[in-house]
Amino acid sequence: MATTTSPSPVATSGPQPQGGSSGGILRRMEVDPRLFGMLAALAIIWAVFEIWSDGIFISPRNLWNLSLQTSAIGIMATGMVLVIVTRNIDLSVGSMVAVIGVTMALLQVRWLPDWLGLGNPWIWVISLAAGILLGAAIGGFQGVIIAYVGVPAFIVTLGGLLVWRGVAWALSKGQTIAPMDSTFKLLGGGGNATIGGTATWVLAGLASVGLIAALVLGRRRRVKYGFALRPIWADIVIGAVGTAAVLLAAWYLNQYYMPEALARRFVEQSGGEYTGQQIPLGLANPVVIFIVVGLVMTFVATRTRFGRYVFAIGGNPEAAELGGIKTRWTIVKVFIVMGILTAISAAVLTARLDAATSGLGTLAELYVIAAAVIGGTSLAGGIGTVPGAMLGALVAQSLQSGMVLIGVEAPIQDIVVGIVLVVAVALDSLYRRRVAV
Amino acid sequence: MSVSKRRLWALLPVVALGLAACGGGGDEAAEETGAAQTGDAGGGLTVGVSWNNFNEERWAKADEKAMREVFDAEGVEYISTDAGSSAEQQITDVENLISQGADALIILAQDGTAIKPAVAEAVNQGIPVIAYDRLIEDPGAFYLTFDNVEVGRMQAQAIYDLVPEGNYVFIKGNSADANADFLRGGQEEVLTEAAGCSALTPDNPDPACPIKNVGESYTDNWDPAVAQTNMEQFLTQNNNNVQAVVASNDGMAGGVVAALEAQGLAGQVPVSGQDGDAAALNRVALGTQAVSVWKNAFALGAAAAEIAVQLAEGTAFEDVSVDVAALDPSYESSAPAAGNDAAPFTTPGGVEVTSIILTPIPVTQDNLDVPVDAGWVTQEEVCQGVEAGAVEACG
Repeated sequence: MATTTSPSPVATSGPQPQGGSSGGILRRMEVDPRLFGMLAALAIIWAVFEIWSDGIFISPRNLWNLSLQTSAIGIMATGMVLVIVTRNIDLSVGSMVAVIGVTMALLQVRWLPDWLGLGNPWIWVISLAAGILLGAAIGGFQGVIIAYVGVPAFIVTLGGLLVWRGVAWALSKGQTIAPMDSTFKLLGGGGNATIGGTATWVLAGLASVGLIAALVLGRRRRVKYGFALRPIWADIVIGAVGTAAVLLAAWYLNQYYMPEALARRFVEQSGGEYTGQQIPLGLANPVVIFIVVGLVMTFVATRTRFGRYVFAIGGNPEAAELGGIKTRWTIVKVFIVMGILTAISAAVLTARLDAATSGLGTLAELYVIAAAVIGGTSLAGGIGTVPGAMLGALVAQSLQSGMVLIGVEAPIQDIVVGIVLVVAVALDSLYRRRVAV
Repeated sequence: MSVSKRRLWALLPVVALGLAACGGGGDEAAEETGAAQTGDAGGGLTVGVSWNNFNEERWAKADEKAMREVFDAEGVEYISTDAGSSAEQQITDVENLISQGADALIILAQDGTAIKPAVAEAVNQGIPVIAYDRLIEDPGAFYLTFDNVEVGRMQAQAIYDLVPEGNYVFIKGNSADANADFLRGGQEEVLTEAAGCSALTPDNPDPACPIKNVGESYTDNWDPAVAQTNMEQFLTQNNNNVQAVVASNDGMAGGVVAALEAQGLAGQVPVSGQDGDAAALNRVALGTQAVSVWKNAFALGAAAAEIAVQLAEGTAFEDVSVDVAALDPSYESSAPAAGNDAAPFTTPGGVEVTSIILTPIPVTQDNLDVPVDAGWVTQEEVCQGVEAGAVEACG
């Protein structure tokens, strides 16, 4: 939000007449009310499922599952924000997941073992690199057609949706490609593919320090440029709440212990005797990838020239072009980024499933777009945040996992997710209209 | 003259585009369509096949191959389309096959109800239709399939033999596919009878039943990743207290095994499947999947082709008769007692259709050699990563 072309009169023009007292506090703290609203919605969803599932939903284990299940869609959603902000769309990501996943699987199951021998440590490196290159290439190719040939993104990526799944089928000949390389499987988060309890604490500690540093530096920078300051109490509240939330999440997820069968194997392999030790699993690897991707993408969107160009193009393409921004090349780059993120997701999904099929990622494009849109990205362009999309993915996945937990049948799940999507966008546009008045 | 010729040339890309569109993205379909345009000179019969999608392992490898062998032997033209999982596309596909002059149609329906208008159109034009592998609730379609209820029975029986009591999870197929419920019906039948229970529904449990249904869900598009997520949720809900999983196909069984593996339970909790996917048979050999019920697709394809030819020649539905074992020797080993003559079959919707129903075979570690010997999979695929001497079929 900080980089949108709209200035932030909210911060300087004092209390607004129509705002209630809580809105006033939020505004003075400069918390995006929509982000806050989404957190509230998430809290409500979790509470309802917690009651409905007799206390299973907010168990450490289920939240751990949820974090893992959100990762793949969430990774792609961070890129979809940029795509949608530039007034484009990418309908091909689900099919790209299939073609990239199948390619990576074929590399490690069929092609590379013949050449390097099964279990060679280079196999996973080469497959992953090839997958990411392929993702960048497909994204760049579609981007060039969109930006330079001038075919609408909707059409190009609709074509891609058909083409890439077809290519995936042709490559796999309709077969399931399995099993994956054992090192590659670590990207998937199953069993031992986690960072462990200690590393989770370290990560949480780093995140807390980072948050506080960002607040201090941000304050100093505002002083330097003579910008209006957030009240000191607001900075302290944000720092305290943020740090507490991060540490609480780390503590809570660390309450999920290695399943007994795995723990026994783990302890006995390391020469000990299993006596029912409880070993925290820590964050699953895909979740760490998701968080890192989220941080990088937030930085790219808000702190780099590329990010500012993206939002400038979304806000007003003509003005951006006249302002000297290479709009076409920027759009190609956005699609390359989307392709790379899709490849990362494909790696996570195939590693997690321990197999690839040409049906991999079916309907993923819809869930990714839904996550971005639920997260406050405007299809009209120019507006959207990476953290919003990450939260949006979490909201959508919470609904789905929760409904499975309480035994809602698949067709009803689709109905609920569809309705939530429309309601989320409706509330968002109502809010925007109210603010604009 | 030259002008009109040039106009014709100008039209060519349009025609080509149209043909490509008929193919629904499958290049093979476009190729076949081209062949149909030129190869009609023989005056022989033409049989059109509408596939719903080629994504699953079996269609291209066995069904189509077996059909083509019969067609080639009898000098019948083969044309095909691929609907890419779209029920709407498939209606267009069938219309295209009719307009290309098919004398009989074989339809693998994406949606057995949505396809009915297209079937009605074929029937109106006097073109016989075979509902291939999936039911079409229309007496105008000849139903050829494996006994899907029997597949469900075999899955449940294999699991029950290993786990006669405990907590069961049921991973069902796509809710729009009648097969999903046939399978579940067969599973219910065997388990309730074997365990002496009234019902195995999650909402209405029989307290005296030694088997408890602790999780049951349909799976959108039979998607393995969805099955994996659902299984993770069931394990969470029951705190891993699950003793057996009845999964309705091999793809979903793969997702289930991945979820079990994450909990260190793979190989301890038996999982069922069907289709005899190479990856699944490999899991059977490795011991992480208990059974894959195999429907000999060579036999089904060959039977469909033979029936299509008989119908195209004007044989009435009830007079159709095929000796499946003669068409495909590998079938005999799996099911010698299967019926070869058309018989009436009442659908779940209460429609009486004419049918031939073949019998599947459950593949476990003990008879892994059957699909290998039939040429369905190679021993190398099945035995990848299996320790020497652990499984007989792997040596």
